[in-house]
Amino acid sequence: MLLYLHIPYCDSKCHYCSFNSYTHKHNTQNKYMQSICIQLQYELERFKPSHGDIKTVFIGGGTPSTIDPSYYQDFFSIIKPYIDPNAEITAEANPNSATTLWMKGMKALGVNRLSFGVQSFDDAKLHNLGRAHDKIQAINAIKNAHAIGFEHISLDLIYNAKDDTKELFCKDIDIAFSLPIDHISTYELTIEDGTKFTDKDRQTNDSLAFFIAEEITKRGFEHYEISNFGRYQSKHNKGYWELKNYIGIGAGAVGFLNDTRLYPLMDIDGYIANPLDIKEERLGSQEILTEKIFLGLRSSIGIAKSLLNKSIRNKADFLVKEEKLTQTDTHYYNPNFFLSDEIALYLMP
Amino acid sequence: MAIVPQSHIRNFSIIAHIDHGKSTLADRIIQECGAVSDREMSAQVMDTMDIEKERGITIKAQSVRLDYVKDGEAYVLNLIDTPGHVDFSYEVSRSLASSEGALLIVDAAQGVEAQTIANVYIAIENNLELLPVVNKIDLPAADPDRVLSELENAIGIDATEHCLVSAKTGQGVKALIDTLIERIPSPKGDENASAKALIYDSWFDNYLGALALVRVFEGSLKKGQMAKIMGAKREHQILDLMYPHPLAPTKTTEIKTGEIGIVVLGLKTVDALQVGDTITDAKNPTSEAIHGFEPAKPFVFAGIYPIETDKFEDLRDALNKLKLNDSSLSFEPESSMALGSGFRTGFLGMLHMEVVKERLEREFDLDLIATAPTVVYEVLQTNGEKIEIQNPSELPEPQKIDTIFEPYVKATILTPQEFVGNLIKLLSERRGVQIKMDYLNETRVLLEYDIPMNEIVMDFYDKLKSTTKGYASFDYEPIGFRPGKLVKLDIKVAGDVVDALSIIVPEEKARTRGLAFVNQLKELIPRQLFEVAIQASIGNTVIARSNVKSMGKNVTAKCYGGDITRKRKLLEKQKAGKKRMKSIGKVEVPQEAFMAVLKLDS
Ligand SMILES: Nc1nc2c(ncn2[C@@H]2O[C@H](COP(=O)(O)OP(=O)(O)OP(=O)(O)O)[C@@H](O)[C@H]2O)c(=O)[nH]1
Ligand SMILES: C[S@@+](CC[C@H](N)C(=O)[O-])C[C@H]1O[C@@H](n2cnc3c(N)ncnc32)[C@H](O)[C@@H]1O
Ligand code: SF4
Ligand SMILES: [Mg+2]
Repeated sequence: MLLYLHIPYCDSKCHYCSFNSYTHKHNTQNKYMQSICIQLQYELERFKPSHGDIKTVFIGGGTPSTIDPSYYQDFFSIIKPYIDPNAEITAEANPNSATTLWMKGMKALGVNRLSFGVQSFDDAKLHNLGRAHDKIQAINAIKNAHAIGFEHISLDLIYNAKDDTKELFCKDIDIAFSLPIDHISTYELTIEDGTKFTDKDRQTNDSLAFFIAEEITKRGFEHYEISNFGRYQSKHNKGYWELKNYIGIGAGAVGFLNDTRLYPLMDIDGYIANPLDIKEERLGSQEILTEKIFLGLRSSIGIAKSLLNKSIRNKADFLVKEEKLTQTDTHYYNPNFFLSDEIALYLMP
Repeated sequence: MAIVPQSHIRNFSIIAHIDHGKSTLADRIIQECGAVSDREMSAQVMDTMDIEKERGITIKAQSVRLDYVKDGEAYVLNLIDTPGHVDFSYEVSRSLASSEGALLIVDAAQGVEAQTIANVYIAIENNLELLPVVNKIDLPAADPDRVLSELENAIGIDATEHCLVSAKTGQGVKALIDTLIERIPSPKGDENASAKALIYDSWFDNYLGALALVRVFEGSLKKGQMAKIMGAKREHQILDLMYPHPLAPTKTTEIKTGEIGIVVLGLKTVDALQVGDTITDAKNPTSEAIHGFEPAKPFVFAGIYPIETDKFEDLRDALNKLKLNDSSLSFEPESSMALGSGFRTGFLGMLHMEVVKERLEREFDLDLIATAPTVVYEVLQTNGEKIEIQNPSELPEPQKIDTIFEPYVKATILTPQEFVGNLIKLLSERRGVQIKMDYLNETRVLLEYDIPMNEIVMDFYDKLKSTTKGYASFDYEPIGFRPGKLVKLDIKVAGDVVDALSIIVPEEKARTRGLAFVNQLKELIPRQLFEVAIQASIGNTVIARSNVKSMGKNVTAKCYGGDITRKRKLLEKQKAGKKRMKSIGKVEVPQEAFMAVLKLDS
């Protein structure tokens, strides 16, 4: 079982971002952190984990580093009995707010992995993206994290913003690998409704995606999902792609139990007032199959043959013949994650 | 309804070139007669189908019975509004067979156009009294004198007695009605003879069943009477009778000599109510049936296929129901290796085809693919046998063919003289042979060409319009078959011949057509998982080839955490879009590809 905690606060809003986060509601943090405990108690009743069942925790956002470690104390006390002693516990952190103090505090609470929203090491690009930090801050934050003793450190990069080039990524990747990290996520810029960005701010350059993947894998990180590379692979991410049960805590934090997806309120004030107002979506077996197909194709997890009916098997076998898929006795695997949507569309019932 | 003698009945059709204002004039006449209240009135009230309203054109002829008082005497006016587009001239012929006269409308600014002439000839064949009416005199560019002289020069009709109207403002409409009562003869049938009524239209009503629209030439039809349908040799009781009206038909108990009306027989199908048939009294039948109509002869054929192969029976059902509304529709099951089971369907022209496909999709909720339209060919085989071909894939092996005959039409084109050069070039590219070139006056020219029909089903109309800035008008009629040097062009997609894409082309154009076709398909077929080879060939000779490269990347590489539903829904939507394409082997081909050949420059 996985556990996700959503922190819907940011110091400023990046131009591309449509994640559920607010820049002017910091005064609600205290109440918010109380509400998440109410929801957490409730979800523990629902998910009924036994001792050590929770294998990973992920604190994401928004920006978890906008909140003082002391506010997380109750949360960690509540989950303590259920947490696997070897659990992977990740927090997202922004270079401008992840101070030494904050990182030390989080480490003391049990966080053992940090994921930094770096996006780029190019100051001009950072500016265009509307980021609140520069290259130096990012480098220093990561070095500090290492010095403090974080075992696993990851960073996020964004590609195919307008005017991105291979040269720029050569530099970014070189800097990234000069730092003490064991994981990189690279996300292709998506233009989302309700953000400052429009289609003019992006570019379509498929070869850049392949180039970046090649450069990162060349340096020894395994490409284990479209956007993810690592010497160490995030267990939490993999859990999602294997459709494991996950508890979602916080405003808009999606949960999943067996065949039901759970949706708490998105709006901070709404959530604070009614943390138990949770919508449910029951998935049919067909929908679960579709998800297993596309998630398996996006990652090194693959698709178990036992899930597929005859007609899908035939199509998959045809793709093997055409060298679009590989197979073992039990699974089909996608050798080119960047084609995964197209293959999923082909296989989907 | 007032009882009026035959001498006070007028039956007339409104005929004209497309868009010259027939339906709008009908509106004004209807209002002048007070048959539709101002509140219920809408523009082109006779155009009742959605597709007519949307496109602003008349597709089906419509009749209405009107009451009118002139000099203190009551008259009945039976008005039939007809379509102007050449594809629907079958509607005009049937309407004119039930009229004594016709209002020939000509747009005061545009003047005589190709369908003006064509419709006049149909009227003359039917011995009708023609009343020239110049419409749209409110337009600044109106030039009635020029229009009237064109009428005399182009068609040789006497236009001294005419009416000038604006259907928009209503100017001249009352005078027009008075004139038509003077000019158009009353019906002259024997009222005491046995009933003799011509079915000039029929359709299906969900509540009343099959309905016949008739013109009574002799005797009368009465409610309750046993009627005999002479050609169909069937007898049925007349359950009800109505006078036609676009919004609210009114019931009546008798339709008398010279009148028109709707006959309700309670039939579940229209089989027994073929247009052109005669209805008479079952006990005392008339001795001779009215000479009916030639059935409509389809000019172009296309395959119509459901995208989802399991919708074949639904399509059959839909075609059968639509035929009740459109007697000119003909279809036969056929099967294609590429598209599965569908129907080879005959149409009166390209607009007719478009309208039928759209109605099938809208009224019956189907997703359809139409193959490129083709004309009918006659093939004399080396064994002496002659066969008819409605589908290019039926063409025999080249060594079994002695001669292929292709249908020709006589094309009539009216154009301002400055475009004559462009038109002559276009027509000769299309293998046309000039028969006639007449100056109607200093500025307008009439061209007559013999031209293979194959050359006009494709993009001819669009080309004609673009090369003349929209000013030329065009009409055609079939003139029989002539031998042609023709070959079949096959298209292979991923190595397999797609039968539904085969076309028959003149040998000298095969190479350029093949190239253009392959390039067109390359643009239309989206990149897929596999590289897709496209080839055009004649027999075993490949004459053009191209490739759609395989797709390298299709994914949204974004972080979505636990919100997997959102991602799934996006994929489901894309999948639904893909299902609208046709899978041929491993290749997904969009619908447009099957019509791509229409857009080829020849
Ligand atoms: N200015 C002006 N416009 C007119 C007049 N009569 C009709 N129109 C316009 O001409 C266009 C065509 O009118 P319709 O009545 O639909 O023509 P139609 O002859 O019935 O067309 P089809 O049935 O498609 O052949 C419409 O936009 C009318 O509003 C008129 O007297 N004056
Ligand atoms: C949940 S977000 C928040 C992380 C953290 N607040 C930060 O920005 O530093 C995780 C990552 O998603 C990526 N991301 C956010 N919006 C995106 C967009 N519109 N297109 C592509 N990637 C995006 C960014 O790389 C970001 O670091
Ligand atoms: S990208 Fe990160 S920091 Fe920027 S607005 Fe989004 S969640 Fe906040
Ligand atoms: Mg009309």
